[in-house]
Amino acid sequence: MLGVIAKQLKSHPALIPLFVFIGGGAIMSIAYLSRLALRNPDVSWDRKNNPEPWNNMKPDQQYKLFTVNMDYSKLKKEGPDF
Amino acid sequence: MSGQSISQHPLRVDTKERILPEPTEDTSRNLPRLAAVSLNVRLKLIKMADTVETKIQNYRTAPFDARFPNTNQTRNCYQNYLDFHRCTKALSAKDQDVAPCDWYQRVYKSLCPTSWVGRWDDQIEGGSFAGKI
Repeated sequence: MLGVIAKQLKSHPALIPLFVFIGGGAIMSIAYLSRLALRNPDVSWDRKNNPEPWNNMKPDQQYKLFTVNMDYSKLKKEGPDF
Repeated sequence: MSGQSISQHPLRVDTKERILPEPTEDTSRNLPRLAAVSLNVRLKLIKMADTVETKIQNYRTAPFDARFPNTNQTRNCYQNYLDFHRCTKALSAKDQDVAPCDWYQRVYKSLCPTSWVGRWDDQIEGGSFAGKI
């Protein structure tokens, strides 16, 4: 399969940018989906041992990729301990 | 706003028609059965109750919570509702003053629709509440 593709690329080298961009897009989608599946605090894989994974976050921990006008370093835990 | 006492504040929840105790030096009144608890732990509890009390008195609205950074704050509302009930259950089981839990009550009353709060309160009374408290 890869041999066929390599042979076709040698005869039509203009197809190489197509592979680059499609491949890059696929890698970015898969990377974002796996970040959501594994790192998102709303996702709970193990309901018995880790039922509320968002409560494991520190009060100044940032999950979003980009934030505007939010200084996470100054945040503290608000509610009382119990 | 300046003439109102805290019990008449529109956001203040009067489940027991009680004004928060003022920080005094006689703490044996607030923490009745802590003779067996060490002095350091007692001081820490008193300090925590005082800071939470000042925070409750200066309360304006629910602060930003890093656990819920997006527009959908449903989980924030539900988590504070659960935390309020868990806090009252835990502190009353330890025979401590339940007043610091009012912070969670103020936050969920700011965030949650009143119909949800009413429905959950009815479910708790009826024993059919689905959350873990």
